[in-house]
Amino acid sequence: MNAQTLTVEVVRIEQVTPLIKHFTLAPVGGGSLPAFSGGSHIIVVMQGAGRVHRNPYSLLSAPHRLDAYEIGVRRMEESRGGSHHLHDAVKLGSRLDIAHPVNLFGLDKIARKHVLIAGGIGITPFLAQLEDLHGGAVPYELHYSVRSPEHAAFLDRLQSRAGANLHLYYDSEGQAIPFEPLLANQPLGTHVYVCGPAGMIKHVIATAAACGWPDSHIHWEQFSAPPVGDAFDVFLARAKISVHVPPDHSLLESIEAAGVEVPYLCRGGVCGFCHTRVLELEGELQHNDHFLSDAERSRAGSIMPCVSRARCTRLVLDL
Amino acid sequence: MLVTGIKSKPVYAPLQADVRGRYHVMLGMGVGAAPLLRVIDEMRAADAALLANTRLLYVPDAETPGSGAARESTNFKATAGGSSTAGGSSTAGESAQLHATSAGSSTAGESARLEATAVGDVQIFDSVPVLLDRFRSVLEASLMGTRLYVAGPESFIGLAMKIALEFNLNKDEIRAEECGSRARRVYCIHCRSTTEAVRTNIVACIGCGRWLLVRDHYSRRLAAYMGVMVDAEAPGELPAVKEVFL
Repeated sequence: MNAQTLTVEVVRIEQVTPLIKHFTLAPVGGGSLPAFSGGSHIIVVMQGAGRVHRNPYSLLSAPHRLDAYEIGVRRMEESRGGSHHLHDAVKLGSRLDIAHPVNLFGLDKIARKHVLIAGGIGITPFLAQLEDLHGGAVPYELHYSVRSPEHAAFLDRLQSRAGANLHLYYDSEGQAIPFEPLLANQPLGTHVYVCGPAGMIKHVIATAAACGWPDSHIHWEQFSAPPVGDAFDVFLARAKISVHVPPDHSLLESIEAAGVEVPYLCRGGVCGFCHTRVLELEGELQHNDHFLSDAERSRAGSIMPCVSRARCTRLVLDL
Repeated sequence: MLVTGIKSKPVYAPLQADVRGRYHVMLGMGVGAAPLLRVIDEMRAADAALLANTRLLYVPDAETPGSGAARESTNFKATAGGSSTAGGSSTAGESAQLHATSAGSSTAGESARLEATAVGDVQIFDSVPVLLDRFRSVLEASLMGTRLYVAGPESFIGLAMKIALEFNLNKDEIRAEECGSRARRVYCIHCRSTTEAVRTNIVACIGCGRWLLVRDHYSRRLAAYMGVMVDAEAPGELPAVKEVFL
């Protein structure tokens, strides 16, 4: 089963920082979009030059507003084209196909307190969650770190929703989130959520663990863009076809281009939905996901084709 | 009527020290002292500093006179004596029932052994409700990074877990080892009363008098097994009543 897609129209585009564009997407012909909860993302399907991009973006609009979805897109320096396509080619009135929202980053329903930590564009899932937290009984803090004031996206909205719960940090002014004291002094039943650059996520996870936090109270989301790599060939055992994976295409994209469907939800190495069995391998797998355990990686028995690749002379997948 | 093979029946495992925790809270009742002493040994071997950040609350098996007051063993400022109703979830009846299940084996020596450890704060209680009230106030003041260890009869573990659940403690923060009586708290699904210290497969509900079959279906929220009327279709026709939860 693949995420179902629906067609939306771009009804508003706003450049909110030098790097981030804010898109509003409404259903073609009016009506309502599928309901979602704070922390959900959609996959945006884009027909680029000679290839299809399918990128995940968190919904930042209020979950109770279903007349339109809003996403924030940061222009990535090393883009394979998805974010550049949205920034450069997509205009007001453009149509996009999107997959139904999926939530892999929801708030814990029985938490006694939430600590939200965002770096840069990582603020987007929290914007939707704030709509649920605003005026609620569960205390929360939002710590938002950005390069400089001009990069502080969505500040008005954050201030109106979070008020005094918002703590803002500018790298340019030497301000940094005080991770250790922050995580060492939270009441029992607190959950921490982090979304931002890989280094920040790693640091929060390590600091929380050092403060004694158990895994079940630590939540993070980072969609990896599929890294580029060497070209390789893969044989699909059930389809009985050979597929070439060029350097700048992901394994999943190449398989899809060959007409074979692989179940997916996030396309960012997070959800585990595209988990695929490796039947034969001569060479090594290059795991780039956040899903497989170290033990599973060392067994080399499976791969997440959305972000992972191989450096090999032979690879056979159970597809 | 399905009685066994029900997934909600709690599974317990021998206690093990979790040295990744920064603070540790231990609860024990009766013969539960032994597993706690074992964990204390493990902690001392791993890093003696862990014990300084450990609090231990213990209630011996036998009900002792003058219940309701905590006995201090360290420099802890006891306030438990006057606050036994603070939590509101326990009753004196629960305490009496719990203790009745395991009366006989004296564990006075266990209290002394626990007090003699290097644990930062050891408190010995005369009754389960007072211990649980103190436990609640300990959790209110606790920080993330705390691990909970519970050792004792299943009904004691269940009552402790019920409070831990209110504080959103998850499985990876709690360890529990069952030892001592397996007598059950049984919740009547008809009148919603809870009958304490049930040893038999069938019991008369303390609230409505219906004969209840004690199932393995367990509620963590209620800290009780579900009791279902056993003779609804043929009133008075009861299967053999046996002592099964010893």
